[in-house]
Amino acid sequence: MEGRDASPRRPPNSPTLEDARRKAGAVAVSKERQWDIGRQRRAEKIERAKVALSGSLRGKIFSRDRTVVLLEALLSPGDRVCQEGNNQKQADFLAQALTEVDPSRVNNLHVVQSVVALPEHIEIFERGIAARLDFCFCGPQAGRLTALLHEGRVSVGAIHNYLELFGRYFIDLTPQVSLIAAQAADSQGNLYTGPNTEDTPAIVEATAFRGGIVVAQVNEIVDRLPRVDVPADWVDFVVQSPHPHLVEPLFTRDPALISEIQILMAMTAIKGIYAEYGVQHLNHGIGFDTAAIELLLPTYAESLGLKGRICRHWALNPHPTLIPAIESGFVESVHSFGSESGMERYVAARSDVFFTGADGSMRSNRAFCQTAGLYACDLFIGSTLQIDLAGNSSTATKGRMTGFGGAPNMGSDARGRRHPTPAWLKAGEQARRGRDRMPRGRKLVVQIAESFREHMVSTFVERLDAWDLAAAAGLDIPPVMIYGEDVTHILTEEGIANLLLCRDEEDVEQAIRGVAGYTDVGRKRDRRMVENLRDRGVITRPEDLGIDPRLATRDLLAARSMKDLVRWSGGLYQPPARFRHW
Amino acid sequence: MIVPRTSYVEATARRRVEAVLDHDSFWEFLPPEERVTSPHLSQLDLPVAFDDGVVVGGGTVQGRRVLLAAQEGAFMGGAVGEVHGAKLTGLFARAVDERPDAVVLLLESGGVRLHEANAGLIAVSEIIRALLAARGRGIRVLAVIGGGVGCFGGMGIVARCCDAVIMLEEGRLGMSGPEVIEMAGGVEELDSRDKALVWRTFGGKHRYLLGDCEYLVEDDVAAIRESIHQALEAASGFELEQLEAEHALLEKRLRELAHLHDAIDMWRALGLPDPDTLPMLDLARFTPIAHRARSFWKGEG
Repeated sequence: MEGRDASPRRPPNSPTLEDARRKAGAVAVSKERQWDIGRQRRAEKIERAKVALSGSLRGKIFSRDRTVVLLEALLSPGDRVCQEGNNQKQADFLAQALTEVDPSRVNNLHVVQSVVALPEHIEIFERGIAARLDFCFCGPQAGRLTALLHEGRVSVGAIHNYLELFGRYFIDLTPQVSLIAAQAADSQGNLYTGPNTEDTPAIVEATAFRGGIVVAQVNEIVDRLPRVDVPADWVDFVVQSPHPHLVEPLFTRDPALISEIQILMAMTAIKGIYAEYGVQHLNHGIGFDTAAIELLLPTYAESLGLKGRICRHWALNPHPTLIPAIESGFVESVHSFGSESGMERYVAARSDVFFTGADGSMRSNRAFCQTAGLYACDLFIGSTLQIDLAGNSSTATKGRMTGFGGAPNMGSDARGRRHPTPAWLKAGEQARRGRDRMPRGRKLVVQIAESFREHMVSTFVERLDAWDLAAAAGLDIPPVMIYGEDVTHILTEEGIANLLLCRDEEDVEQAIRGVAGYTDVGRKRDRRMVENLRDRGVITRPEDLGIDPRLATRDLLAARSMKDLVRWSGGLYQPPARFRHW
Repeated sequence: MIVPRTSYVEATARRRVEAVLDHDSFWEFLPPEERVTSPHLSQLDLPVAFDDGVVVGGGTVQGRRVLLAAQEGAFMGGAVGEVHGAKLTGLFARAVDERPDAVVLLLESGGVRLHEANAGLIAVSEIIRALLAARGRGIRVLAVIGGGVGCFGGMGIVARCCDAVIMLEEGRLGMSGPEVIEMAGGVEELDSRDKALVWRTFGGKHRYLLGDCEYLVEDDVAAIRESIHQALEAASGFELEQLEAEHALLEKRLRELAHLHDAIDMWRALGLPDPDTLPMLDLARFTPIAHRARSFWKGEG
């Protein structure tokens, strides 16, 4: 019956299986599809490049006066390009060369790189060499980038977190040409990145294995590398840069500049959050607020008997301000995104703590460290510029399209995480607030900021500038650094707001107003509700923790100057010249 | 674990005074409650300080009677105005009357307070005249330099008019400050943001190597007390013979070093081993090496 009914029901023109078979056969006969167009295109480009370099190519090494010619041969209009622009290390010589190519030959490039750091990174948009940008972070160039956006001379795909952009390198944003930086190469083209490996492995892996071309600038060419970080057959061209690549000491904070308010907030964080949850695995932001916490571990945290109970394992760059905590035995391990200028000898001499190669020097890796920060850490704490009444936080402010570095990734709850730790479980339990839900943990995401930042600008706002920035730049979503739903605690000089314990949006709003000090947002608090939140433990003042603000003095810092840090390191730490007051 | 010390660099002028003097021995004249403030700043609608940025008074150092002054770097960079200067001048006049064991100056100043223009300039020349008059009467004058602002301009001259200068490595001593030099001579002349360069040009170690200061001490108030005590015990004098020796030393310095542009080249010329490494050495290792340079200046010109 069913068989009989089936055939009249079929619409008259619907294709049968037989039709499909016939069609497939016809295609196969009419034209053989090519499956290696990318590889062929790559071979053509390399051939073109070899001709352009003519006599100046020895193996993979070419002479630097041919760099612009090489780039013109390798780049086609519309290519996706990554100029290794990391948080710290910069392929600056190649970036400079890219600004000098002929825009009538090389144009409309699509730049896919984590950090837009150098003036050259912007110049290629101004010159019409590049037109589209997908990135993560934009530091000193934020103002110029924002201006270009308004003029419509650059279109931004998205502002990513690092892992997200690296992920897209393997899905839909694979670079066709990558310009990378390494410390040294040998004559074959093997590369040694030195301590600042950073993004290099992620960039090279994606580019080299999908028909792309990798060009490396190196500081020196040597007979024997200390170790091989990138094998030669993943690298196509190597040039010796006339000067060592730029490395920014982004993570060096001079203890002399830490204020007593920051010390009070650090005491509050240690006693009210680190000790409270027993935080063992963590990441810190790069500001002075968190540097203060690092410098209070050997003194204040030690006096509370917290050694061995908090802060044992870190996903963190080698912050100089961590030296006293390492030397006094708080810190057991540190994996790093990148290195830090001046810390090389210290790191090499502390291989039980840091990740180092057989050659003794440090190995960093941003992709892996971001993964560690997301999945293996119980706490992220960092500063911000604006927080709204739902706890959304952003460092993108009017006229400054900054992007966010590591915070959006590490400051997000890892929903896929399974392994329990006491801190993660306790935060999860607070988040459930006794409701009958599936037990799971929660990452602690803490935003630490003074209620007023420089020039008496309020950190707390009714509405983030990110909304206006998104509208002006035509972005689909406002550039938020950390979403309110991921933030668990907001910490100011007035105390801690624990958002996990808030029952509804009104609780969240009043909890935030309740620690927003004398800002407009803070003065609009409902006093009765704030007192009630304090009774419920949602808001905790320093005095509730038994912290006497009068004891928050600089005498508590384990190091009060850069020189103290050098002394703690036994002379191994060598601060860059700009940080030396002696 | 590093033993915590009480930082002199970070202390305010008043805390420095307390830390340097014997406990409870300090007395002050023209204290803040008398509110002798600058007449010029109030005319310009600028904030004033009740002590005009300088503490003057007396006390004892390990039992020795001293008069002392301390400039507050946090108020207008320790700059000298009319009242500020008059307090210092008065201190020396009082010293001539009282004959203490020494006058101790805890200096931190960018020089003359520009807002007070000529009054500030005149004040500095009066300080110098009063200082030299006191020394002429056999009163020993000591300067301590180790604040964030450094010791520049007119107060740089005042410092070099003293019997002895005690410096911290972090201290800086000079005439024009690094920013002023950069503004006048361009960044090629001096990059004021290159801190290592600034410190090896003006900092305590260089001053010690050139013979501009007699004591170089750690940033620790106990160490400073100790060196003040030593300076009180050391031989001193203000005779023609010493003045001529000083002039000979300066001449020799010009001859040997004036053509060199970086402190490191000067240290090399003085015969110091591995001059590049000197800025990073701690004082325990630096001082023995520095003695070689110091004996160079004391040797025959």
